[in-house]
Amino acid sequence: MNFLRLTGVLVASALPAFAQQIPVIERHLSNGFKLLLVERHEEPRIAGGWVVKVGSSNERLGTTGIAHLFEHMMFKGTPTLGTKDAARDLQLIAEQERVRGEMRKEEALMRLSLRRGQLDDVTKPENFTPRYKELEVEFKKLIDEQRQLLVKNEFDRVYTTAGASGMNAFTSEDMTGYFITVPANKLELWCWMESERLLRPVFREFYAERDVVYEERRMRVESTPIGKFGEQFTAMFWDAHPYMWPVLGWPSDIPNITKRDADEFYALFYQPQNITLILVGDFKADAAEAMVRRYFERIPAGTQPPPEVITREPDQVAEKRMYAEAETNPQVDILWKTVGFQHQDSYPLDILQLLLSNRTGRLYKGLVLGSEVATDTYAVQDSKKWAGYFNIGGEAKDGKTPQDVEQGIYAELDKLKEELVPADELQKVKNQFAAFEYRKLTANFPIFIQVLQNEGLGDWREVNEANAKLQAVTAEDVQRVARKYFTREARAVAIYNRKPGSGSASEDPDLVGLSADQKPVVRRIIESLLAEKDVAKLKQALAQMQAQTGTPDPKRQQLQNIIQKKVAARIAELEKQ
Amino acid sequence: MNLRTFLSALSGVLLASVLPVFGADVVDRPEKLTYPPLTFEPPNPSQYRVQLKTGPVAYVVPDRTLPLVTISVLLRAGSYLDPKGQEGLSEFTGYLLTKGGTEAKTAEELEERLAFLAANLGSGIGDDSGAVNLNLLSKDLPEGLQILRSVLTQPRFQSNKLELYRQQSIQSMKQRNDESTAIQSREQERLAYGDHFWASRFTTEKSVNSLTQDDLRSFHRKWIHPGNFVVAASGDFDRDAMIAQLETLFGNWPYTGQTPPAIPTNIIMAPPGIYFVNKDVNQGRVSVLLPGVLRDDPDFLAIQVMNDILGGGGFTSRIMNRVRSDEGLAYGAGSGFPGGVYYPLAFQAGFASKSRSVNYATSIVLEEMARIASTPVSQEELETAKRSFIDTFPENFNTKAKVASLFARDEFTGRYATQPDYWQKWRPRVEAVTQEDVLRVAKEHLHPTKAVILMVGQEKEIQKGDPSHPVTFQQLSTGPVTQVPLRDPLTMEPLPLGTN
Repeated sequence: MNFLRLTGVLVASALPAFAQQIPVIERHLSNGFKLLLVERHEEPRIAGGWVVKVGSSNERLGTTGIAHLFEHMMFKGTPTLGTKDAARDLQLIAEQERVRGEMRKEEALMRLSLRRGQLDDVTKPENFTPRYKELEVEFKKLIDEQRQLLVKNEFDRVYTTAGASGMNAFTSEDMTGYFITVPANKLELWCWMESERLLRPVFREFYAERDVVYEERRMRVESTPIGKFGEQFTAMFWDAHPYMWPVLGWPSDIPNITKRDADEFYALFYQPQNITLILVGDFKADAAEAMVRRYFERIPAGTQPPPEVITREPDQVAEKRMYAEAETNPQVDILWKTVGFQHQDSYPLDILQLLLSNRTGRLYKGLVLGSEVATDTYAVQDSKKWAGYFNIGGEAKDGKTPQDVEQGIYAELDKLKEELVPADELQKVKNQFAAFEYRKLTANFPIFIQVLQNEGLGDWREVNEANAKLQAVTAEDVQRVARKYFTREARAVAIYNRKPGSGSASEDPDLVGLSADQKPVVRRIIESLLAEKDVAKLKQALAQMQAQTGTPDPKRQQLQNIIQKKVAARIAELEKQ
Repeated sequence: MNLRTFLSALSGVLLASVLPVFGADVVDRPEKLTYPPLTFEPPNPSQYRVQLKTGPVAYVVPDRTLPLVTISVLLRAGSYLDPKGQEGLSEFTGYLLTKGGTEAKTAEELEERLAFLAANLGSGIGDDSGAVNLNLLSKDLPEGLQILRSVLTQPRFQSNKLELYRQQSIQSMKQRNDESTAIQSREQERLAYGDHFWASRFTTEKSVNSLTQDDLRSFHRKWIHPGNFVVAASGDFDRDAMIAQLETLFGNWPYTGQTPPAIPTNIIMAPPGIYFVNKDVNQGRVSVLLPGVLRDDPDFLAIQVMNDILGGGGFTSRIMNRVRSDEGLAYGAGSGFPGGVYYPLAFQAGFASKSRSVNYATSIVLEEMARIASTPVSQEELETAKRSFIDTFPENFNTKAKVASLFARDEFTGRYATQPDYWQKWRPRVEAVTQEDVLRVAKEHLHPTKAVILMVGQEKEIQKGDPSHPVTFQQLSTGPVTQVPLRDPLTMEPLPLGTN
C-alpha cells in the first residue's frame, strides 16, 4: 500500500473535504489580541484559553523562574474576586511589601554569610538572623489579617460552581498557556473571568505561592533520582541561549523574585498584542467573536512590543560529556543542536525521529533486539521557538554499559548517513503522520492545545500545514540532515551509572564477606571494568595484579582475589565477542 | 525596593481599577451574568447494547465523523489469578498476547504490518481486569479484525519476546527503591490491605524467572475466551455490519475456557499509627489512610460530595486551601475516596512537603478530617461541589469512544445488570445530597485517630520540624511509630533498617 492509495480510499468514503484540517477562523481585536475560533458541535462544551508569548527564555539571571511563578499568580483573583474588602486588601499587600523589603536586606546578609561559609543553607529556620525572625512574625500578622478578608480561591470557585472543568496553565521555555473547559452556555462567564484577570489582576498571597513553587521544584527536580542531573545537563548543553536554565528557575532565584518584579513582568509581556485567545467547541463564531470583543477590547493596547530573545546559540565546536552517579539504572542521554520551529530541516528531522522511535524503529531493532545492549531506547526531535535539539538515549541492559548503548546509537546514525532509507520504511512513518491527522481531531481539548502550542511557537497554521511538508520529505533529505546535524562536535553526552550502594540491588555473591567500606570500592572497579574494551590493557593489568599477590593482609588479599576474578571474567567476555 | 518605588508601582494598579473599565454592559460580579438554558441527556446504554450470539455483550456505537475505528475487548482476568510463586503470570500473558506474535505471523512481522497501517494494537492484564485495544483507520478494519482474532485465539508467545520481557521486567525491578513515589505507593498498598492480600503481592526475580511459555499458554487457554469478554466498538462503521463482523470475530472459538473464581476480598488494614520509611530526599511524602467503601454503597455519592469538599475538589477543597494556598507547604495536596468494585478501596489523603514542614502539614490534614466530621459544611461549599459534579456530567460522554467504553465497563463490573438506569439517575442523586448527609458520612468514615499515616523521607529532618509550627509524631497519632524497612527490589524481602 502507498500513501496515494490511502488518499484514494478517503475520497471514496466521501469524507468532508476539511477532515484533515482544523477549521480555524482568525480574527483581530482593536487592541491587538488575536482571536482563533474553531466551531465544533459534538458536545455542549467549550475549551477556551489563551497563550502569552513569554516563557523562561525571556527571563534574566537573578529572577529566573518568574514566568512560571507569574502563571501561578494569575489565579489569585481581581479587586472584586478573591477578597471581601478590595481597598484594605491592597493596603495590606503594600504593607507586606514594606516588610518584605526589610526581610530582603536580611536575606542579603544571610547570603553573605553563606558565601563566607558561615552558613550551610539560607532556607533553614535555624540559620535566620534574629531581625529576620522578628520580621517574619510581623509579616505573618499581616498575612493573618489579609486572610480574614480573603475569599479563598474564589477565581476557581466561580468557575467550578458554573460547571467548568480542567482549569490549568503551563509554562515552557517559549510560552505560557491558560485553559479551561466551560459548558456551552457559559461563554460569557469565560469572557468575564479571563478579561477581568488580564485587565486587573491582583497578586495576593504572593509569598506563599512562591513557597508552593519551591515545593514544585522539590517534587519535580530535587527529590527525583535524575532531576538535578537533567537540570545540570541542560545547563551544560546550551552555551549562551536562555534555554540553559530551568523553567522552574534556579533555586537561588525563586525566593528572590519580588512582587515588583512580577508587576514589571506583567506590564512588559502580558499586553494584548502578545496574547492569542483561543476557543474550540459548541458556539457560533460570529456571536462568540462579538462577545469576546465586548469584554476583551476593554483592555488597553500595549505601548511597546515586548523584546525578542536576541542571544543566538553559537555553533558548538567540541563534544561535551557528563558522567553522573545517580539512583537509577545505567543509561545514556545524548543531545545534538538542531533547528527551531518551522525551519525547513525540522521536517526531515521529525521523520528521522519516527524512523528511530517505537518498537519497529531502528533503535529498538538495532540495540534492544539486535545487539542486545539496551533494554529501552528513545528519540525526540524538539524544535523550540528560537533553537532546537535532537535527543536520543537508552537504558543499558544488565552487563552492558551506557557507553555500549552510546556506540550502538552512533552505529545506527552512521547507517542513516551512509545509506538512503528504503522507500517502504519511509512510507511507514509517513503513514503514521497521516493517521495522526485524524487522531488529533477526536475532541475539543486536544484540538485546542495543538492550536495553542503552534501559536505559542509562532504560527497556529503549522497545525494544518505540517503534514504536507512531512509527506514531501525524501530519503535524500533524511540522509542530508543526518549528516548535517549528528556530528560529534554538536553533541553533549550524559553517562549515568548507578550510585554505589543505592537501590540495594541483590548482592553480587562474590562480594559477600567484604567489609562495608570495601564493597563500594569493588563495585566501582567492576563498573569501570565493564566500560573497558581493550583486552590487551586488561590482560596487562591482570598480570600486574598477579605479580603483586602474596600481601600479608588476608582481608586485602580477599579483595585482590575478587578483583582479579572480575578482570579475568571481563577478558573472557570480550574475547568471546 | 523601598516603599516609595513600591507605592508608585502600586498606584498604577489602583489607577487601572478606577478607570471606567465596566462599560454599561459589563457587570461587576460574575453572579450577575445570566445564561441561556442548556439541557443534556446522557445516552442510554440499551440503545447500543448487543448480546452477541457468540457470547460476549458488545456496545456498538457508530460515529462517522472521522475514518477511525476503536475496538476494545475487556477480559475477565487479573493478577488475583496468579498462583503463589508465579507473580507476574497474568501481566506477562497480557503484555505478550499482542507483542509475542501469532501462529501465522512472527512478532516482528505482526508489528511491522501494524506500524505500516499506522494501527495501534495493545494489551494488558491488571489487578482485576484486562483489555485488548485496537485503533486503526476504517479502511483497514477487515485486516485489523483478522489480526485481532489471531492474537486472541492463537498467540505465539514467541520465546525470544518472553525472554526480553523477562529481562526488562527484572531490570525495572531494580529501580523499585529509587523514586520516593514508588516506595510510597507500594507501602501504601501493603498497609491498606495487608501483606497477605493478593493485590499486595509483587513480582520478584524468582517469580518472573519461573514463568515458562507453557505457563502463559495455559493461562491464555483458561481465561481468554469469549465467555469472559465484554466488547466496546466505536467509530466509522455501520452498526449491523459491525455486529456481523464481531460475530465472526468470536465465532467457532478453538477451545473452551473456564469462568474465573470470585475476586478475593480478604483485606485487613494495618493498626493505626505512623509508619516511616527512611529515604534521603529533601521532600517528604505522606499518605493518611482509612478504611474505604464499595462503589455500590448507598452513601457513595454523598461520600463523593463530602470528599470533594475535603480534598478531592482541587482548589475549591479545604486541604488544598490550607496546605497549599494558605501555608505554601505543598504543590499538590488532597484526598481521594475511590469506592471499590470488588472490595472497599481505602480512603487516602496526602501531599509532599519539604522535610521540616511534613509534620505541620500532616496535622492540618488531620484537623480538616476532624472538622468535616464534626461541623456541617457551608451551603456554598455544598453547592460548589454539587454543581461541579452535575454540570461537568456531559464530559463523561464527550466522545463516542468514551460512551462505548463507559457502558462496556459497567457491563463488565455488573453495574448494568443491577442498575441499568445508573447514569439517568446520577444527577438527581447528587442533587439530593444535603449538608446533613455530608456530616453523617464524614462522621461515619473519617476518624483521624484511627488513621494509618505513612511517611517516606528523611526521618531526622522531619522530626526536627519547623520551630514556628512544632508538631511531634505523638501529636499526630496515638498509635506507635513503626520503622518500615525498604525491600530488596529483586526478592521483596525486608532490608536491614537504615538502608536508603
